[in-house]
Amino acid sequence: MQSPMLTANSANAGALQPGPVMAWMLLIWQHRVLYLMLLPFAALTLTFGLWPIALSILVSFTENQTALSDAATYVGLENFQAVIADPEFRHSLSLTLLYTALSVVLNLSLALALALALSGPTLKRGATFYKLALFMPVVTPEVATFIVWKWMLNQDFGAVNAALSSLGLPAFAGTTKADSAFIALVIVELWHHVGFYTVVFLTNLQLLDASLDEAARMDGAGRARRIWSIWIPQLRPAIAINSLYALISFLKTFTAVIVITKGGPNFATNFVSYYAYTKFDLAQYGKATAMATILFVIVLALTLLVHLYSERKDYR
Amino acid sequence: MSAMRRLGPLIANLAMTALALMFLYPFYWLIVSSFRSQEAMLVNPLRLMPESFDLAAYTSIRLVGGVPIEVYSFNSMLITVLATVLAVATTALGAYALYRRPHLPGFKFVQFGFLLTMMYPAMLLVIPVYLVMFRIGLLGTYAGLVMFLALQPILFLMFSQFFRSIPRDLMDSAKMDGASEWQVLTRVVLPIAQPVVNTVFLIGFLLNWKQWLPILVVAASPDRYTLPVALLAMNTEYGINFQSTMALAALTTAPIVVLFLLTQRRVIGGFVAGAVKG
Repeated sequence: MQSPMLTANSANAGALQPGPVMAWMLLIWQHRVLYLMLLPFAALTLTFGLWPIALSILVSFTENQTALSDAATYVGLENFQAVIADPEFRHSLSLTLLYTALSVVLNLSLALALALALSGPTLKRGATFYKLALFMPVVTPEVATFIVWKWMLNQDFGAVNAALSSLGLPAFAGTTKADSAFIALVIVELWHHVGFYTVVFLTNLQLLDASLDEAARMDGAGRARRIWSIWIPQLRPAIAINSLYALISFLKTFTAVIVITKGGPNFATNFVSYYAYTKFDLAQYGKATAMATILFVIVLALTLLVHLYSERKDYR
Repeated sequence: MSAMRRLGPLIANLAMTALALMFLYPFYWLIVSSFRSQEAMLVNPLRLMPESFDLAAYTSIRLVGGVPIEVYSFNSMLITVLATVLAVATTALGAYALYRRPHLPGFKFVQFGFLLTMMYPAMLLVIPVYLVMFRIGLLGTYAGLVMFLALQPILFLMFSQFFRSIPRDLMDSAKMDGASEWQVLTRVVLPIAQPVVNTVFLIGFLLNWKQWLPILVVAASPDRYTLPVALLAMNTEYGINFQSTMALAALTTAPIVVLFLLTQRRVIGGFVAGAVKG
């Protein structure tokens, strides 16, 4: 029973072999115009996206001295072991995760609060101006605005401390102390990003089903109760998108660090992307790319989680 | 009770206005500071008007790091415009092809690969990009910079979003009538795409203007730097001069602020369209 079946199968497979390939070629030929349209985009993505990523991951398995030469020595997981054994990396990773968690929660809750306020009738008249003010930091060049913040946090003549003292509040140590430097970055990046998340929430709020809210109101539900049970569930698309963008951008926080704190003081803001960058500067390419790869995997995993949340069936 | 009812909205508006002004304040502080010396700042950090419109800082940045400011401005303009034009053309065609037939062999791979590049830490992608540029002989060239900057996820997402909003029937009926895929694009899609193309171009311009890291790494010498890169170099390398830094920061920011003020509705709407469901 065994052998006839097998021969029949393999004979069949042999006969079918040219079929799929021909069908493929035909399909590609039929849609050659679409392939031509995709070509420039695909070429850019391959050359300046996937190739560098592959190269970078490859380098993470090579020895530092030979990493960039044609005859690289592969050392397996040595760089990853070294990076994970490095106490400063573990510190840097926990800082990055703490910073991301704090920033995501702060940005999204402030953005949601602002969007709820702006969507109501009370602030209608000034809404254009308010949105403009919140969104301006999103589009202006970060290098410039972060430099402005760096000087505004200056201890001698910065506007932040001058304003605090004129209100009778204690001074803010800014970038001179570990804790305050961390908080300063959270605040500056909040200023930079929150407008984006706010307008995404606002757009979602405008698409809400008003009849549900009306029905709940009829049943005597208060505003807070309606926000919690009627609005928030309907805001799931915006929550998912915002968390996704926020996770990706805060995990990779870099410009603010290089401009404002340079990882200091005393490594208090030495986030993974910046730490890896300094390793690059020291020509420790293997370690730097190993760190980048670890960060990449974390971003991918968290992105997947958020994606699952947004696709989850609604049990309500 | 009625006084409360009137007072509530007033307080809400005042609070929101205060917050909005706080958000705008750094821009204001930037402009004012560019006219004020460090000594004057020390005396009164919060002064709302400069003592005098002292243009010393602006004349001091005629040369930054030995390169005339015009060169940086020219580079900014050239690289931003070319990268944006290339981005609009390639992402529009790419997003269109991927939208029309997402299941053709290889198409999913391109789409997935593109989304993957979005998640890789950009600052570390730039170093391997340096190697890639070196291998294909584009290191330090405008062409290399422009091609790298043309990959902008949000622009792609904006186009995808737009194509999805076109009724499929419109294209399918044109196809039925014997139009080729190219004719569907040029006769059915492009005529209604003008507003989207404009918005994508605008947002691409804003985003490319602020790019700095790829340019810093890929540019072989300072005479390829753009304004933000020159500014960053000033912040770190050339010895920190507060007033000159503010003047250069003001020059880097001003064109974007003006452009945004003129087009804010379109820009904000476009960002949201790109963000929503990629």
